[in-house]
Amino acid sequence: MACDDLPDDLKILWKEAGMDGPVFSPDQLRQETEKMHAKRRRSYLVLGVVFSVVIAGFAITFPYFHNILMRIGAILGILACGYWVVVVLRERARVVPDPAETDGVGFYRAELERMRDWHSRLRAWRMSILVTPFILYDLGLAQTFAKVAPWMVLFVWFDCTIFLGLLAIWAPIKHRKTARKYQERIDTLDAALRREGR
Amino acid sequence: MDRTESQDEFYRKVAAEYGASLARMAYAYEADPDLRRDLSQEIHLALWRSFEKFNGRCSLRTWIYRVAHNVATSHVVRQTRGKRSAPAFLTLEEAGVQASGENVEISADRHQALAHLFALIQRLDPLDRQVILAYLEDLDAESIAEITGLSVANVWTKIHRIKEVLVRQFHRGGRDGL
Repeated sequence: MACDDLPDDLKILWKEAGMDGPVFSPDQLRQETEKMHAKRRRSYLVLGVVFSVVIAGFAITFPYFHNILMRIGAILGILACGYWVVVVLRERARVVPDPAETDGVGFYRAELERMRDWHSRLRAWRMSILVTPFILYDLGLAQTFAKVAPWMVLFVWFDCTIFLGLLAIWAPIKHRKTARKYQERIDTLDAALRREGR
Repeated sequence: MDRTESQDEFYRKVAAEYGASLARMAYAYEADPDLRRDLSQEIHLALWRSFEKFNGRCSLRTWIYRVAHNVATSHVVRQTRGKRSAPAFLTLEEAGVQASGENVEISADRHQALAHLFALIQRLDPLDRQVILAYLEDLDAESIAEITGLSVANVWTKIHRIKEVLVRQFHRGGRDGL
């Protein structure tokens, strides 16, 4: 069986590892920083383009269709896209703790909170804000084309099922579960710290 | 950091001195080789950037480990996001209980012992990981407390538990010393 000073043997063993770790030059790191900034700019661009295309789609078709459901769907759709742009931008603007200035406990807790908050933001009502306009618009589209293109009705039902099923029901349930998982970890951490008198 | 010393020069020195230690840390936080390289890069990047504001209020060693641990913790939290199959983290006590069936001889197969040690650490809760890694890197309790934010007394308690877990998991084998 082990003797009391075994951890010292393990420390020697431990220090034999990691001698061939990757080496980075400051120039490489500078390039990586540039890449990270470029990636961030690109993701903003993609986000902007996606929302712009959706908003433009609703706005352009607005004068051509007189169906009331489509019109309500288009107006709500533009508002919903605007709302989600704000949600995403606010999430990205959230100040993350500085790894150099924050202790391990504080940093770990802040990371768990950040993940929990992101997942708990994707609640059913928030997803409904995004999904409902599309469903209304689709139903209006089906009404408009029901006689000239009956296949369109099928397409709309399929579309609505996917939207409803994935975004309004499945996604919030999944994210709620994940948010709860992070909250449980926060509770476990808090309980451990309380036990240890912090 | 010496004001006249550039951030790059300072980073080079630190990377040369602490490179192996940072590599071990990355290994202890990430088992997948590709993700491990990404994590190593993230750690080095965060360190290089942090030296811009290093003010000497704490020791350089404490600063380096704090940055590295926090970046690695963030990596671990991100990696377990939404993974249903992700194993739950163990506390030191749970690791001790689970260890009773497996006892590795250090001197017989050093690679196996090391792999076993890394596997043990990779399953621990990030906070316990920070303590065990700092302990293995020979940091004193005061420095570990400064890095983790735990009290010195708590750190001592954890170190005591760590030793118990390690003793239960490993044995020295036939010959003395290594």
